[in-house]
This record gives sequence, structure tokens and C-alpha cells, in this order.
Amino acid sequence: MITLNNLTVRFGGVTALDAISAQFCQPISGIIGPNGAGKTTTMNAISGFLDYQGVINWNDETVDDLNPFKRTRWGLRRSFQKEQIADDLSVLDNLQAIADNLPLSRSEKRAEVEHAIESMSIAPLANRKAESLNAYEKRLADLGRCIIGNPKIIMLDEPCGGLQQEETDHLGELILKIPELTGANTLIIDHDVDLISRICTETLVLDFGKRIAFGETANVLADPKVKAAYLGVEEDAK
Amino acid sequence: MLALLVFIFIPVLAGGQWVKIFISTGCFILAAAGVAFMYARLGMVSLGQIALMGIGGWVMLRMNHAFDLPFEINLAVAGAVTLVFGWLLAMPALKMRGLYLALITLMAAGGLEVIFSTFRFPNGGEGFWGVMPSVADPFRRPTLASSDADYLRYIILAIVVGFLIIELHMRTAPGRAWAMIRRSEAAAYASGVNVVYYKAWAFGLAGFLAGISGGLLAGGLGLLDPATFRASESIMLFALMIVGGSRGWLGVLIAAALYRIVPALFNDWGIDADISLIIFGAALLHAIITAPNGLSGQLIDLFSKESKRT
Ligand SMILES: Nc1ncnc2c1ncn2[C@@H]1O[C@H](COP(=O)(O)OP(=O)(O)OP(=O)(O)O)[C@@H](O)[C@H]1O
Ligand SMILES: [Mg+2]
Repeated sequence: MITLNNLTVRFGGVTALDAISAQFCQPISGIIGPNGAGKTTTMNAISGFLDYQGVINWNDETVDDLNPFKRTRWGLRRSFQKEQIADDLSVLDNLQAIADNLPLSRSEKRAEVEHAIESMSIAPLANRKAESLNAYEKRLADLGRCIIGNPKIIMLDEPCGGLQQEETDHLGELILKIPELTGANTLIIDHDVDLISRICTETLVLDFGKRIAFGETANVLADPKVKAAYLGVEEDAK
Repeated sequence: MLALLVFIFIPVLAGGQWVKIFISTGCFILAAAGVAFMYARLGMVSLGQIALMGIGGWVMLRMNHAFDLPFEINLAVAGAVTLVFGWLLAMPALKMRGLYLALITLMAAGGLEVIFSTFRFPNGGEGFWGVMPSVADPFRRPTLASSDADYLRYIILAIVVGFLIIELHMRTAPGRAWAMIRRSEAAAYASGVNVVYYKAWAFGLAGFLAGISGGLLAGGLGLLDPATFRASESIMLFALMIVGGSRGWLGVLIAAALYRIVPALFNDWGIDADISLIIFGAALLHAIITAPNGLSGQLIDLFSKESKRT
């Protein structure tokens, strides 16, 4: 269970997150909202990348006192809106780069990396340099990184951004496997509402840094306020 | 293989003057390897490498004239002290990136330039600074390598060891952590990398290589001149490293060869050595415009095309 309690983030005079509270009890939950709503900012706060007010808990543990890299060592994993794997390392080394920093023995680290490669079915890519991968393969490697070392919280920022429909479907299947692979609570940001309603049991909707809805995904998507927020965006887009 | 061939033949073939030039080239290869890995693997621009080399050289001379210890121990002390200076340099630099980092290292190099030219290098005189006018005490080379040709072999061996140390880092946890830092600090944090620690480690390793190369240079020449370690020299070495290519050992060899051998050749041919500056400038433009991986990248591409054709 991930608990956000009055999470507030300010950039200068701009309030990017305004006292967001939510309890994500389900294994996989979504965060949606129009562009600039504060979704990525929420993940950055949970990562400890920015100063925030409020409290972030996982079950009974609070992560607020940990700095960013200690949060990872504690059990936080995330992918980024723009993938952040190291181009000059092989896929294997990109996974190993996380295992290196976890409090595990050498053989446990190797086993974790192998487990991740197997779970994502990326063995054929393992020794390829990351720069030679296509967008989809990079996303697979990224997801592989996230399941290493018994994580407690996994956050995926638009994991299917820029992918083809089939690729999105397959990645969705893999994300659905995360709970049995790791036992972590997973948070997903995506603009693809079909994907969110397929894989997320609960969803938080943000708009202009405010929580406008939270609850079971189908109910949330039917909420008139949510529809209005999205319609507003669509009109802007035209 | 190549190292072995070079090891056997160069010291034999080269004439007296040239052995000396190769010795100093070898020292700069080690120093360049330090800047190159910082730049290629971490994306950090350090413009203080030759100044750090000066520290290594100073410590080496100081140890040599103060105590009666073997060469290797003096060299290890020179490497260790310079490693610590590398860390000191890292302190203000850890929070900075790109241009600001480069400027900080350049300022440090400028500061050291002033110190070197004020206090000069120990040559056997009295006191802490150990400088006496005109004459100088002899410098003790390693017992195994007291002739110039043997000393050149000693340096080639040191270069091979230096390259192996870097390669070992690249294949283990530090190399992976550095690659994540280069991607972005967010990526590094998300991988659990302690960014400050691994950046400091990189500065330490580059400092260590600079210290060893400075110590070896002191052994090669017996005396050091403050002009060798001017801040502008650090900039020059960095620029030539870009020309050579920062990603592999070949680029580093090219950089050091351009830095030391080209001016010496010009001298030999009776051409003004300053002409080499113009050539370096043109080469830098060429590299920036057409060869992101430097001349070594172009050579490797050329060879791999050739071998595919046959
Ligand atoms: N480091 C920062 N400094 C200043 N403002 C920022 C910073 N990061 C985000 N913002 C602002 O905070 C707001 C929320 O941004 P955020 O990236 O969280 O949006 P998002 O919901 O992830 O949008 P998108 O769907 O486009 O990714 C935006 O107005 C953005 O401009
Ligand atoms: Mg975002």
C-alpha cells in the first residue's frame, strides 16, 4: 500500500502539486491527467528528486528521510517518461547497474539479473549495446530494471509512450505480471486510457496539480469532472 | 600485442634524443588516459590534468631528494598524494556540471600554475621547497631501468598497467555507475548509484593517473620546469584528446603523440614549433565537425570497412 498524505510541491510561485492525498491499496494503480497536470512531478517527489511537503509511506515504512539513491536501495524502482538506460552499456550491464547497488550477495545479484531477463524474455538482447535497441526493446529493458531485487514500489512514467498498439498490448501483459513477480505496488502514468483501464484497478486523476478524482478505474473514468478535464484538453489540442 | 612490439622495438630503434621524447610522450599518454575516461565515460570536462601531473612530479622530486627510498615507493606516494588532490578538486566540482565544472578545474590549474612558478620544483636544495639555484642533485631512477631505453620500457609497462586499471573499472560496478551518471543523474539515482561517491572516485582515479605520470616524467627528465604544467597545457591536452578521440586507447595515443611528438618533429625539421598550434586548431575543427569519435574513431571505421570489403 502506497500512501500519499498532503503531498505538496512548489516550483517558485507555481504550486505543481496541491495537497494530494491518496491510498493506493491495489497491486497496480494508475495516475492520469492532462499534460502538465503534475503526474511526473508526483513520481519525482516519491523518488525524492524534489523538495516536497507531506508524507509518503509504503505500508508502515516512511521514505521521506531517505535521499534518492537510498530510496532505490530501499526498494523503489522507476522508469522515466523518456527512457534513461545507458546507451554505451549492454542490456545486461544496464540491469547489473541496479543490482550493483543493492544490499545483496554477488550470487543473489546475478540471480536477480537473470530472473529479470527471463521474465521480460529479453535473453537475445542481453549482450547487445543499448544504443542498438529500438524504442520497444528499450522499454522492455527498462521494465526489466524495475523488477530487480524485490522492489517495494515500482513507478512507470508512460511506459508505452510512442509504442505501436501490439507492443503496448504486450508490455501491458508484462506489467500485469509484476505483482506475482515481485509483490511490489506499481504506479503507472499513461495517456492511453484503454491501457489504464485494462491494467489498473485504481486510478488517481490530477488536473493543474489538484486531485480531481480517485477510486476504482471504471468509476473514475465515468466521473463528469474527469471527462471535463479531458475534454478541455481535447479542445485545446484542436 | 602492439604494446609488446612497441616495448621491444621502439627503445632500440630510437636515437638518444628521441628516446627522451618518447619517454615524455609516454607520461602524457597516462595523463591523457585519465582525462579521456572522465570525458568519455562520465561526460565530465576536466581542464586540470597537467596541473595535477605537476603535483605528482613535485612530490616525486621532493621524495627523491629528501629520502633514500626506492623509486617505486616514491612513485606510489606521488600517485596517492595526487589522488587526494584529485578529490579536493572534486569537492567544489561535485555539484557542478558541464561548463561550470570545466571552469572550476581550470581555475584550480591556474592556481597551481602560480604556485609552481613561484616555488619551482625541488632539485635537492634545503627546506620544504627544496630548491637551490643553478646546479641540481641527481635523480635516482628505478634500479632495473636506469638507462633511457630501459626507462622507456618501464614507462610502456606503466601505460599498459594504467590502461588495464581503467579497463577493469569499466567492466565492474564503477564503470556501470559512471555510465548511469553520464546518462543522467536521475538515471543514476534510480539505479541506486551514490553519485557523489562515484564522481569522487573518478576524480581520484584521474588524479592518480596524473600523479603517476608526473612522477614518471620527473624520473625521465630528472628536473621539472614550471612551464611544463601551465594551465594552458591542460587545455591543450584536452583539445588534443578530442582530436584523437576519447573512447579508446588509440585516441589517447594519438593525443599524446600530437602533443609531444609533432612539435619535436617540427623542431627536427627546423620548422617553428608554434606552427603545430595552427595544425592542432585545424585538427580540432576537423574533429568537431566531422569526427565525433575523433581520429581514432575514423581510423577504426576505415579499417572495419576495409576488412569487410576483403
Ligand atoms: N523542475 C521544474 N521546475 C519548474 N516547473 C516544473 C518543473 N517540473 C515540472 N514543472 C511544472 O509543473 C507542472 C507539472 O509538470 P509534470 O511534468 O508533472 O506534468 P505531467 O502531468 O507529467 O505532464 P505530461 O503528461 O506532459 O508528462 C507543469 O506546469 C510543469 O511546467
Ligand atoms: Mg509527465
